[in-house]
Amino acid sequence: MTAEINFEDFKPRVDAIEEAFQQKWERFRYFVLEPDRPEFAEGLNSFGPEGISLLEKAKSALTQAKEFQTEMLGRKSRLSALRKEIRNVAAADRGVAGQAMTRLELQMSQPLEIVETHLNHFIGTILTRQEALDVTLPGWRPRRGHLHPITLVRERIEDIFVSLGYAIEDGREIETDFYNFTALNIPDNHPARASQDTFYTSDGFALRSQTSTVQIHAMQRRGAPLRMIAPGRVFRRDTPDPTHNPMFFQVEGLCVDRGITMAHLKGTVAEFLRRMFGAQTVTRFRPSYFPFTEPSAEFDFSCFKCGGSGCRICKNSGWIELGGSGMVHPNVLRGAGVDPEEFSGFAFGLGIDRMVALMYGLDDIRLLFENDVRFLRQFD
Amino acid sequence: MLISYNWLRELTGTVLTPLELRERLTMVGLAIDAIDELEGDSILDVEVPSNRPDCLSHIGIAREVSVIEKSKLQIPTSKVTKTEGRAADHAQVEIHAPDLCPRYAARIVRGVKIAPSPDWLVKRLAEIGQRAINNVADITNYVLHELGQPLHAFDLARLTDHQIVVRRARAGEKLQTLDDVERKLDPDVLVIADATRPVALAGIMGGLESEISQTTTDVLVESAYFNPDSVRGTARKLGMDTEASRRFERGADCANVLQAQTRCVELICEIAGGVATDDAIDIYPQPLPARSVEFRPARVESLTSLRVEPGEMQRILAALGFVETPSASPTVREGSQAAGASTFVVPSWRSDVGLEEDLIEEIARHAGFDKIDSELPPSNMAGEYQPVEIKRRDLRRALRSLGFDEAINFSFIDNAHDEQFALLPGLTTVSESAAERLVTLQNPILDEATRMRPTLLPGLLQAVRHNLNYGTRDISLFELGRVFATFKQGELPVEREALALVATGGALTEGRVQAEREFDFFQLKGALEAAVDAMGLGPLTFSSAAIAHLRPGQSAAIFLDDETPLGSIGRLSESLAQPYKFRQPVYLAEIDLSSLLESRGRPLQYAPLPRYPAVVRDVTLLVGRDVTFAELKQAIAAAEIADYAGVVLVGVYEGSNIPEAKRSVTFRVEYRAPERTLRDEEVEERQRKLIDLLLRKFAAELH
Ligand SMILES: [Zn+2]
Repeated sequence: MTAEINFEDFKPRVDAIEEAFQQKWERFRYFVLEPDRPEFAEGLNSFGPEGISLLEKAKSALTQAKEFQTEMLGRKSRLSALRKEIRNVAAADRGVAGQAMTRLELQMSQPLEIVETHLNHFIGTILTRQEALDVTLPGWRPRRGHLHPITLVRERIEDIFVSLGYAIEDGREIETDFYNFTALNIPDNHPARASQDTFYTSDGFALRSQTSTVQIHAMQRRGAPLRMIAPGRVFRRDTPDPTHNPMFFQVEGLCVDRGITMAHLKGTVAEFLRRMFGAQTVTRFRPSYFPFTEPSAEFDFSCFKCGGSGCRICKNSGWIELGGSGMVHPNVLRGAGVDPEEFSGFAFGLGIDRMVALMYGLDDIRLLFENDVRFLRQFD
Repeated sequence: MLISYNWLRELTGTVLTPLELRERLTMVGLAIDAIDELEGDSILDVEVPSNRPDCLSHIGIAREVSVIEKSKLQIPTSKVTKTEGRAADHAQVEIHAPDLCPRYAARIVRGVKIAPSPDWLVKRLAEIGQRAINNVADITNYVLHELGQPLHAFDLARLTDHQIVVRRARAGEKLQTLDDVERKLDPDVLVIADATRPVALAGIMGGLESEISQTTTDVLVESAYFNPDSVRGTARKLGMDTEASRRFERGADCANVLQAQTRCVELICEIAGGVATDDAIDIYPQPLPARSVEFRPARVESLTSLRVEPGEMQRILAALGFVETPSASPTVREGSQAAGASTFVVPSWRSDVGLEEDLIEEIARHAGFDKIDSELPPSNMAGEYQPVEIKRRDLRRALRSLGFDEAINFSFIDNAHDEQFALLPGLTTVSESAAERLVTLQNPILDEATRMRPTLLPGLLQAVRHNLNYGTRDISLFELGRVFATFKQGELPVEREALALVATGGALTEGRVQAEREFDFFQLKGALEAAVDAMGLGPLTFSSAAIAHLRPGQSAAIFLDDETPLGSIGRLSESLAQPYKFRQPVYLAEIDLSSLLESRGRPLQYAPLPRYPAVVRDVTLLVGRDVTFAELKQAIAAAEIADYAGVVLVGVYEGSNIPEAKRSVTFRVEYRAPERTLRDEEVEERQRKLIDLLLRKFAAELH
């Protein structure tokens, strides 16, 4: 049985541990402060040579703080050893001795925990700052291409007419005289037939000057009733200038059925233009002349830019001329094998290039076929 | 056509303002381009449709105005007060070409005094853009603009033997016209001649020698009707476009010949003095027949949906000059009797009217197109896209997402490209000359562009050049369009749709200047394959081939399903890159899209998912450079190794540590058994078998 010791003898040993703690604690005391205080960073200076980063010093401080904690509070610490000896303290003093030890333990462990928390926080802040992205840098986005504005407008026109019950048709671009002129009731002496206006191949075939040629083929093939549009490339001998090209794109529509009237023509063109240019669009029909329709009408629509009050686009008239139309000429129906006493029909045509120029504010349509990517890349 | 508002008011008594007239005339089919406000008058610029020559005059426009306003047209009265003698006593007229000149009338005014026109006449002509010359010439011009009938005044003294002969020119004849140009004539040209020589181009322009001058005292006033085709043909051939030719070539009013002449002679006597002959020499051997049109009023509504009162229909037609006649011998069409059919005689000035539909149009435009309802036709049909149109849309969108911009070029190209490019397979027969093989334009508009393009490639290369010139270095373009070739002389040419791609520079990333990587053969090949795949078509196969416009060793023929030749792909040859001054590689592909679109798409069919995992093994072989990936792949697939499930390329290496004539190819082979997981040693055994086979077949080594 070992001899009992009293508190008088025990206390110096407690005090010695505290003294040892206080000596080393001196280096860590800054870290009890909030990490954003300047003293906190200054306190790190003793944790590494000048020139190494604050992050390295903070990591080193954290390591040393943990070692310090182990040294003072771990299983092999003097405090731990002392705790084992408490049973040798005389029973009467044992309570006091226990309290002193507990107090010392808290006195050491609490600040060290704060220090560790603060150092971890400090390190975390630096790391976050280092890893932060500039989220405004460009995304990894492969450059996409762009469809030609003529394609975009043509497809939009097609979509509208398919939804109105029309089929899309296409035909040859080099045609016989019959399909390009005769079947369209264009007389032999009509100026459009002259080589001034129409391209001819050395074999005497015509480059189609309108896609109405497709209508004749379609009527012959499908018969009446019939609803179709024919978008496509057409050719006229115009010298290129800001408003002309020797090649352009056109869409022609045809509706043949029993009881078709000009009211249906007006309704169809008006509906198309409303869908194309907005619900507020007003359409106007004016009498005109085309060999393949009778009666014939040109249609204008209210200027989408100024709404009719007059501007540069509509040349101050409030109206934009867009295309030609009319009731299919009986000679055309008969020529395509449709009886004009039983069926009637309307036809209309408009330039896709002109629509493109209007919709996108293009002032020189030669750009359409120059294929300058600075132009093409402005479209969808 | 410039129309004076004051003049119009004299003829109609219109109460409409010029602005109101603009609106009203536009809505009956006579669009007014502009109104020029002059001091005391307004000038309307009327856009006259090509079928309405009658509206190339104030009286014609006035007639439309009188219908609009329900007012009475005041036709200028013509009465020559002082006459003496017969025209035939002073001149002779013969028509030798009645087919080209159905009617010719000549009247003489003697003792005129040629002087400047009075102010009112000068002013009136000036307002409608006409320059005053002298009183007689100005009067003919005035009547032309008033009544629409072109007239010409000859100095009678200058006509040899006072003779007028209307005939075809003789080969070698010449005529100095009023514009001081010497015209070479030929028998296609109708001339007015005197006893010895041509003195005017019929219906187009007079001659300088017989023109009215200060010394003229006796005038022969010509009023005639010339064949429109003849006048048009001559005017076009000689590059002339005159006030007279413009009217004759669209069709003048044959019945108005004398009336206009009388008006002209009246004014000459009044303004220039002189005495007119009592009559005119009027040669009109075969009067043009009057046309009549049968009309069923009910058809107005059935064609236009307009309901017009019968009385209003009558009024419009009558005011326009149509005369209703009791159908004496009614050749009435079936069912038309019930509709109250009647027959209208067409006025001589309306050469455009010949059908019932024409009368319907007359009524509809004066009743007002704006009165016609607007409604969609009854919906009884389903819209449809052609299946190929849907595929084209897929194709375009796939190429767009692959970074290609869509180009559109003219369909005609320079014949300098004739021999430069390999054309689509089967487009032409190669044995003939370019001129026979390709489609040539008779009348190109751009001098150099004489061929209908047999390939899209020259256009795309030109576009690359254009963009390089403007500082764009990274370019990828595609185009869809027809290509053309002669099938057989005299038959319609072949038209096929082609797809072409061109790429140079690098594949860009949006917002960064540096290209992700430079374009090469495999990038273009991959883009083409991806685009074809997006249509649900293909697969394409490629085999090394010599292609005219492509660099040897970097060019391939493209096939569909290993058999149908479709086109070519590769790097542009050095000899073609030079003229374009390309200093960076340019890659091109062109395929026959028509054939591809006609091919059957891949059927979409679900396959059950494998129940057991696959095992993969890599193998690297050192093979000769002439052994292709396709051959190796084909051999592996054909090796019939048990549980073989597929092979993919890992990589190809050539270079420093590889013998020069060799390349190292690494594959990953996949094995899978349908009913169990393969054991390692089973896989090893299969892989060894495969490798042995490849080593033997290709004289390869393991690497
Ligand atoms: Zn506007």
